Amino acid sequence: MTDASSAAMAKLVEVARDPRVYIEQWRSGHAGRPVLAILPMNFPRELAHAAGALPVIVQDDQQPITEGRALLAEFYCGYTRNLADQVATGRFDVYDGVFQADHCIQLIGSADIVRSLKPDTTVFLGMLNTSMNDPWAPRQVSAMMRRIRAEIEAFTGNPVELGTLRDSIGAYNRDRALIRRLLDERATGNAAFGPVELQDIITSSMVMDPVEHHALLTDVLLEPRRSERDDRVRVHLSGHLCHAPRRELLEVIEDSGAAVVDDDLYHGRRYVSTDVAETGDPVEALGEWYARRNVTIPCPTRVQQDVDWDGYLVDAVRVSAAEAVIHLVPKFCEPHMLYYPELRKRLDAAGIPQLQIETEHEGIPLESFRTRIETLVERARRRRPVHV
Amino acid sequence: MLETIEKPAEDKSNRLGITRVGGRLISEYWEDLFTARERGKKIVWYNGGALNPMFQAAGLAWCHGEAFAARLAAQRVEGPAQLAGAEYGYNAELCSYSRTHLGCSVLTLQGTEGDQTGVVGAHDQEVLAAKLPAPDFFVNNYAGCSTGQQWDGISYRVFGKKLPIFNISHPFLWGNRPDAGYLRGEEWEDASKFVAEQLRNLIEFLEQQTGRPFDHDALCESMTHIKRAAELRREGLALCKAKPAPATFWDWIASVAPINFLPGNQELVDYFAAVRDEISDRIDNGVSAVKDEKYRLYFDGIMNWNKLGFLSRKFAEHGVAVLAGRYIQNAFWQEPHLIDTSDPILGMAQHYLLCPTNHGAKTLEYLTLRDCEEYGLDGLVFHSTRTCRAFTGPQRLLAKAAQDKLGIPSIFFEGDVADASFYKDGILESRLVAMLEAIDVRRERGALPDGFSAIA
Repeated sequence: MTDASSAAMAKLVEVARDPRVYIEQWRSGHAGRPVLAILPMNFPRELAHAAGALPVIVQDDQQPITEGRALLAEFYCGYTRNLADQVATGRFDVYDGVFQADHCIQLIGSADIVRSLKPDTTVFLGMLNTSMNDPWAPRQVSAMMRRIRAEIEAFTGNPVELGTLRDSIGAYNRDRALIRRLLDERATGNAAFGPVELQDIITSSMVMDPVEHHALLTDVLLEPRRSERDDRVRVHLSGHLCHAPRRELLEVIEDSGAAVVDDDLYHGRRYVSTDVAETGDPVEALGEWYARRNVTIPCPTRVQQDVDWDGYLVDAVRVSAAEAVIHLVPKFCEPHMLYYPELRKRLDAAGIPQLQIETEHEGIPLESFRTRIETLVERARRRRPVHV
Repeated sequence: MLETIEKPAEDKSNRLGITRVGGRLISEYWEDLFTARERGKKIVWYNGGALNPMFQAAGLAWCHGEAFAARLAAQRVEGPAQLAGAEYGYNAELCSYSRTHLGCSVLTLQGTEGDQTGVVGAHDQEVLAAKLPAPDFFVNNYAGCSTGQQWDGISYRVFGKKLPIFNISHPFLWGNRPDAGYLRGEEWEDASKFVAEQLRNLIEFLEQQTGRPFDHDALCESMTHIKRAAELRREGLALCKAKPAPATFWDWIASVAPINFLPGNQELVDYFAAVRDEISDRIDNGVSAVKDEKYRLYFDGIMNWNKLGFLSRKFAEHGVAVLAGRYIQNAFWQEPHLIDTSDPILGMAQHYLLCPTNHGAKTLEYLTLRDCEEYGLDGLVFHSTRTCRAFTGPQRLLAKAAQDKLGIPSIFFEGDVADASFYKDGILESRLVAMLEAIDVRRERGALPDGFSAIA
């Protein structure tokens, strides 16, 4: 790498692993403009960006949960308990307001913690319809997008001009497309970036201004990239719908003889799966984006009878020629737990080896996981044709 | 394990006698459902809010998923369904209502292979879980809990995506707008209209499924009975503010099923009239629900259905009258004045939105503290319902609000709605005793706030 591309990658890694430093830097360069905490998974950040705010998707910051334990039950998912902990320990103070569009009862629980502990902070829930086949769903989603726009305008004090919104949409689209290119390259066998590097690239895009992120990532990609192909077993990572799997787990997966070639993780292909249309009414386009995201990569937090996550997974495996699937199920994630048997059935029927790993915020048994992943790798390897 | 089935040395609870009549009505209802297909009835499986008046008016037989799972747990026969669910792949940390019911789906499907009756094979007839007739279609009516829609969505898939499904979407009542509050504000009005519109669409769906026009008069008639039953229920609940209490939370828990899914008819009205009258008679005759009542507590959390009788005896053993709870005061047609019996759709929609898991903590705090004050309570017991994230989410905040604003303490104990393995009796026992001692100390010091004078 050149010094420039190396510095650019280092910056992305730094932002991904410590968003607060970037937030403070951004704030100092944008006096009077708010930083919004965005809770995953589907909030239209473009609206906030167009109003001059920095919409940051709040990350699971990997700090041990201390005071958060006294605020949410231990059987809430690690991400939501971590959010509560960030609030209780002041690590959430970098945000001026909280905005959420998803109906996950555990996320709502953590948002309620913010509202209770920081009563002067705006905590907005604009719930997007999650039942996607209802005839009234498009109308409802469209109305909610308009309401979110109004709420953003009221909070920032800035109108969301349609032209500015189109610019924001374009900026996010360009950034998504660039990241998607890397994921596509990986699926075709050019795995120039490992799963941890890709996670850093994607996480930083969740934090940064999209124009700035795109520029840095462009610098990173200036250098020709070569991937060293080997005979590691190609795996698809599935799950983790709203926060990142821990980096050390990704490392163990690759250390165990697997090469990650594709995923449907939120901190992966799911996040960049769908662009917003750049023609027509941009607010309506955001509603369509929300609906299309669930078709591009189905999500078990939505109810849509005519799209199937299991079917998507089998197709994705065929496209990337993955030899096995590792399900990363965050402990206590109910939509994932509910859907998991359907995934298992479908992959079994397709003859695709699979492994379920239940992840936690902290205290994950890496060596136990290593043994199981190595077993999966061995199973997949034995299925390879024998060359004589 | 043994300690959870041991009975207290002396049973100091004095449960209402009338609830036995409720038990009979419930049993008859389920027996009726088990044989509904034989009588040519179409069967709907549904979850969430009480849509049974709709189904009654449409001439259907109905199975409420949570109710069936709760019944299995209450009768301690949930094991086969949960085992079937586990073998199918459902994680033990998944909502035990849903995995019990999905386990029933698996059992039902296994039982119907080669058998078009919709009733599982005779070899399993003795197991209640296996007697559930297969659905003809699904309706989802889940507010608050984000797992509810997925549960029915998965049921639809387990049955091979062949059966029709109708979903009603409920906006969560976050309560952040300036005019927001319990039963008021733009958010409430908008959500009410949105859900009411969907109920009208549901009627069209039911007409398609049954092949006959929906009987609006029958709906009005059913809702007239339910409204009256709900009014009587509220009258009875209000009578329980008396000291000592004539009936407790556990009596009302035993009466959840009738108000939640039994047909709206005169029998239902008669039942709740009898409940109210028995409570009234007890007051007139100085009969208390707990011998030597000494403490009055609030119970927050969905019921631990495996432990209804056990918990009623346990609390009574300590002289505790449990009198109020989110699951009783703030659920199950709890605002009957909203029902216009000549056009009940809007009021029905509003009740579905009033599911106690569909409010943000701000509104729940208002409701909980209101009930604590009205019933003159000394403390709160939070059932940290292991697999129910919807109910448990705001509990820590509610406990803090009760301490900060009313000066009353709380304890937490772990259990579950339909999975006995999560209940830890030693934890409840030790924490309850500690809290009661703390209440004693405060009473001796005279430190209770106004309105919380010692009872004993």
